[in-house]
Amino acid sequence: MRIVICGVGALGSHAAVLCRNLPATLRLVDFDRVESKNLLGQAYVKPSIGKNKATALKLQLANFYGVAVEAFGVRLTSQNTHELLDEADLLVDCFDNHASRTLVSTFARARARACVHAAVSGDGTYGLIRWDDQFVPDAEDEEGQATCEGGEHLPMIGLVSATLARTLQEFVELGTRTNSMVSRSGITRV
Amino acid sequence: MAILNITYDGMSVDYPRKINDGLADLDIRRIAVEVVRSGEVPGLHIAGLAERAFDHYVVDRLRTPQGELRMYLRPKVPFGEPAGDEAFRCVS
Repeated sequence: MRIVICGVGALGSHAAVLCRNLPATLRLVDFDRVESKNLLGQAYVKPSIGKNKATALKLQLANFYGVAVEAFGVRLTSQNTHELLDEADLLVDCFDNHASRTLVSTFARARARACVHAAVSGDGTYGLIRWDDQFVPDAEDEEGQATCEGGEHLPMIGLVSATLARTLQEFVELGTRTNSMVSRSGITRV
Repeated sequence: MAILNITYDGMSVDYPRKINDGLADLDIRRIAVEVVRSGEVPGLHIAGLAERAFDHYVVDRLRTPQGELRMYLRPKVPFGEPAGDEAFRCVS
């Protein structure tokens, strides 16, 4: 089975680390580079600063855990979705913007591929894991609205990414699809 | 009729009374403000909650595996393009 994680920022990077033992090939897709501020909330280490995120995470997984994954340090566009996503048995959307989420969802629906979305609110108080058949990407309220960043959100990011990892594990091992909400009240399966 | 779950400031709680699932999102938000202010939502009582506290929140309508309709008033999660007209969000 091949799992393609689209976006390895806060949620995607931690989920990838937690999924390193799954009986599946992981593919990471992200065009962004690791910045020093990313060390606060994402699964990157200091020597990875300046590197492409997908490549950096691939190196970390190999060097720290001996796990081999695929990495594509490119921006997902309508021109390359087939090349990057067509071999996926499961698409995991961890992007942080409406356009990219829509791209993944559109591809998944057109190809009838399993697809799950993960997201965190900008204030770091709420997270969502939702399969594509019940997902509609939110639009931002104002242009340039901040995404969830900052070290203070790391515990919530950890909770959401762990919930996502568990969701992926259940899909791989049992074929089940569970939606979840994560808040300070706890994790609720919906 | 459906159960309304309200998430605010990191707390997610069910409003114990079922409400009309045909209500518009605007009405759902207004009801949520009232019941949170009045203390009718166990564990989520904020007497001074702002009138527009839920203005930028989303109402999801989801069916449980058992077929029960539930509504979730929650913060927005992802970000990106400028907000357009709000569409009625209804999934089954």
